[in-house]
Amino acid sequence: MEAPPVTVMPVTGGTINMMEYLLQGSVLDHSLDSLLHRLRGLCDNMEPESFADHEMVYLLKGQQGNPFLLRARRSLDRPASPWHLRYLGQPEVGDKSRHALVRNCVDVAASQSLPDFLNEMGFRMDHEFVAKGHMFRKGALKVVVCKLFRMLVPGNTESIEALSLSYLVELSVLAPAGQDTVSEDMRSFAEQLKPLVHLEKIDPKRHM
Amino acid sequence: MSGGPAVRVSIESACEKQVQEVSLDGIETYVQPLSMSQNLAKLAQRIDFGQGSDSEDEGGEGESRDQEWGKQEAEEDEATVKFQPSLWPWDSVRNNLRSALTEMCVLYDVLSVVKEKKYMTLDPVSHDVTAGKTPQVLQLIGKKKSLATAAQLLLKGAEKLSKSVAENQENRRQRDFNSELLRLRSQWKLRKVGDKILGDLSYKSAGSLFPHHGTFEVIKNTDIDLDKKIPDDYCPLDVQIPSDLEGSAYIKVSIQKQAPDIGDLGTVSLFRRQPKAKSGSQPWHAKLEAAQNVLLCKEIFAQLSREAVQIKSQIPHIVVKNQIISQPFPGLQLSISLCHSTGEKKNQKASPEKSKPDDHLYVLEHNLHQLMREFHKQTLSSAVMPHPASAPFGHKRLRLAGPMAFDKAEIASLQQNEGLLEKIIKQAKHIFLRRRTARTIDSLASRIEDPQIQAHWSNINDVYESSVKVLITSQGYEQICKSIQLQLNIGVEQIRVVHRDGRVITLSHQEQELQDFLLSQMSQHQVHAVQQLAKVMGWHVLSFSNHVGLGSVESIGNASAITVASPNGEFAISVRNGPESGCKVIVQFPRSQCKDLPKSDVIQDNKWNHLRGPSKEVHWNKMEGRNFVYKMELLMAALTPCP
Amino acid sequence: MGVTCVCQVPVVEGKSVQQTVEMLHRKLEQLGAVKQGSFCVDCETYHAGAMGTTGQPTKFLYVMHNSEMPLSCFALFEGGPCLVADPNFDVLMIKLKGHFQNAKGNKVESRGTRFQYCDFLVKVGTITMGSSARGISVEVEYCPCGVPNDCWNLMKEFMQGFLGPHTPELPMVFTAKPDGIYSPSDCSDTMAQYLELFGKVRKQQVAIGSSMR
Repeated sequence: MEAPPVTVMPVTGGTINMMEYLLQGSVLDHSLDSLLHRLRGLCDNMEPESFADHEMVYLLKGQQGNPFLLRARRSLDRPASPWHLRYLGQPEVGDKSRHALVRNCVDVAASQSLPDFLNEMGFRMDHEFVAKGHMFRKGALKVVVCKLFRMLVPGNTESIEALSLSYLVELSVLAPAGQDTVSEDMRSFAEQLKPLVHLEKIDPKRHM
Repeated sequence: MSGGPAVRVSIESACEKQVQEVSLDGIETYVQPLSMSQNLAKLAQRIDFGQGSDSEDEGGEGESRDQEWGKQEAEEDEATVKFQPSLWPWDSVRNNLRSALTEMCVLYDVLSVVKEKKYMTLDPVSHDVTAGKTPQVLQLIGKKKSLATAAQLLLKGAEKLSKSVAENQENRRQRDFNSELLRLRSQWKLRKVGDKILGDLSYKSAGSLFPHHGTFEVIKNTDIDLDKKIPDDYCPLDVQIPSDLEGSAYIKVSIQKQAPDIGDLGTVSLFRRQPKAKSGSQPWHAKLEAAQNVLLCKEIFAQLSREAVQIKSQIPHIVVKNQIISQPFPGLQLSISLCHSTGEKKNQKASPEKSKPDDHLYVLEHNLHQLMREFHKQTLSSAVMPHPASAPFGHKRLRLAGPMAFDKAEIASLQQNEGLLEKIIKQAKHIFLRRRTARTIDSLASRIEDPQIQAHWSNINDVYESSVKVLITSQGYEQICKSIQLQLNIGVEQIRVVHRDGRVITLSHQEQELQDFLLSQMSQHQVHAVQQLAKVMGWHVLSFSNHVGLGSVESIGNASAITVASPNGEFAISVRNGPESGCKVIVQFPRSQCKDLPKSDVIQDNKWNHLRGPSKEVHWNKMEGRNFVYKMELLMAALTPCP
Repeated sequence: MGVTCVCQVPVVEGKSVQQTVEMLHRKLEQLGAVKQGSFCVDCETYHAGAMGTTGQPTKFLYVMHNSEMPLSCFALFEGGPCLVADPNFDVLMIKLKGHFQNAKGNKVESRGTRFQYCDFLVKVGTITMGSSARGISVEVEYCPCGVPNDCWNLMKEFMQGFLGPHTPELPMVFTAKPDGIYSPSDCSDTMAQYLELFGKVRKQQVAIGSSMR
């Protein structure tokens, strides 16, 4: 929370090697209320906040290797807030005993010109969706409960259709590499949500 | 039902009446059927209640049939009774039924008592035929034995009864504990860990970052001695607070001058005993509130000492044990101390302090608490959720800094966060400056009677700024002498003086500056007053100067002077008034009035007699009048010729 | 931020870059400007390596920083859109190194002193590429106003005071906007001007290089 010191020379670099620790799960629509109720009790003492975001997934295809994937997200209910550009690396294979999925992560806050700029860089939009839901925090832990919507008309965030009858639940922490105690905390937190939702370490690769 | 018109079917009872008689002409005369009630009466008459009254004890098939009869009868019978209560033939039926019911109830009770086996057991009665023939000794023994068993039974019953009473009481206490717990729960955060109930009295949920865990334990206080009298303030629930939060604490803020004449800053008495808990509120509540207060005081002090060490100031802040000392102004010492006393030790601790004059600055103590809460609130509100939701946590405005290209000044304003200590020192400076200003004005007002000085303090002021309006007037001439009106804006480091004409003068915190300034203003006032008076009296102002460049040099400010001429121009009065040298009044006479003036060769014509002649100083001290303006009025009146 | 104009001042004949800069400093101080620390603007060049083979001309992506906006990172294409982001964009560029190569040798920087004269901010910097000084940049900002049209004449007059004949014309970035000189300026305009200037300096180097051959 501490702001970086203001130096005379420009800051180059930013924060290097941040990791995202992630657990995922889902709940059916009808049990959403009880989950939110439980989260309100478990999480930090602040008003739960709802959100509505529009996410676009961009791909840059090179000559060889995998395409490079970037996610650009903007808030629909707070248009003044900056865009969020996110790079997520491949999940670390690591040791099996770790309780959460770990992957490299770069978060960039960017100006409104982000989509144009990504196009100029050679990125092409692969797909887009709208996510609406609630978020909570407990210390460094972030809990996002949201419903994903398919966009019926490209670029129009008004005409949307729910993808499923369930809500996605994500428990995530951002930490510098090598802080595996974080995953312990996450596991104990997930444990407390248990009959309501089972948060697991899900490798997106396996579902492709 | 099925659509077609309903078919009407008439039903008529077949003629089954008894034929009473067939007349000769073949006409059958029927026996008139009994009415419903007649029929009932007839049936009732057939019942023999006497026969069935003691039939319960006897078994038998006939019996059951009888009972069936009875039942049927009873139903019909009751219905009848309801409708025709005055029908006498049924009275016996009713009475019989009632006695039957009573007997049934008794039987039921006996059966249930026997079945429960709690109060009574049934033993088969031995029909000892030989009992009558046993010798008396045996009979006696038998009787004794049976008496003993009876006594035993009774004792057993008594024991059971007393046990159940005790159990009841225990239950009630348990209930009391639970209801107390419920009350506690409604006001404090509780959680269950293992078989303990732990509570949280820290301000963490309100945004505090103080590392103290602030946990208390809830204790069940139900096993007290039943025989002793329960004390009045007994409560089945008790709380155990951490030992370092026991007792009471407060933050003491005071300003001391190194010089001893500081008595005027503090006002009220030192540590007062914590008032007794209000009746009606639970003892645990008072205990927890006290502990929470100790915790908050500790947090405030920890925060202040941390800042005191971190902040660089010209004169470094000193942190010694439970005291922080800072120097807001040279020669002045602001001390903030944490006073924490735990019960017994209180008397020893308080005694050395009592000898000193009490100089609490309650306003600052209150403000410290308020600032701490604000600080808490800030930490809560700065931890806002990111939007879009995928973005990392962080300061909301700082997240904007990158994409909005904030420059250094904007970023600095985001980060700028004045600490608790800095704020409180600023407030202390202001309070001190305000009090000293008030004292300076008051002492001047009491020391100098002419002109008068009045101060109007504004009721509402900021923590860093307050204002006072200073009026300098002459008694009796308030309406005409309103020349000097000053607005003093007292800030943190300095005092800004705004004149009525909009001139602004900035004075430093030094007391002497303000005093000198006011003195010079008062001296100017006198000259202004002469000017105003001249207007009223019809005199003409010949010259006026706020700052005279001639004459002796004043150590404070400048002397001011005015010369006025009488309406017909014969006399002139010159006044010079300096803050230090005081006033000097000179009257100039017309030449015509001076007989002793030597005849000059140059001035021969009579018209030159109108020129002004020599001047004479007035012995101002010997003039009559209660103040300067009054004296001046008398002087002017004396010099104005009667019309 | 106010309207900003960035221009290049040629090195005085017979003098070194350093000496010319000192002359400018002296002129500014004579005007009454006050030194206020230092500044730095840098620019990294990336080229989209993999794209070249598809037949398109190689595109350059420039990532710039300005000490005036220490928490920002600017990414620009020549004449294209400008992205303003936080410093994590640099980290992202490392991740993207398979697609965008950093031309290390092309890093251009302008460092120098910052002057304040009433409402004007003047930054005189030495442009360096690699290790050699390549020229002098002068940035003038008129802080109270955001619309070029409203203050350009004033700025011009002020610049004439110490730049003399080298006073620049109205920068292209302002005229190229849809509303021209009436639309407010922002930080990306400043960065675009620096980019243009650095581009010139880079080509100049090529010119020098070819003339030496």
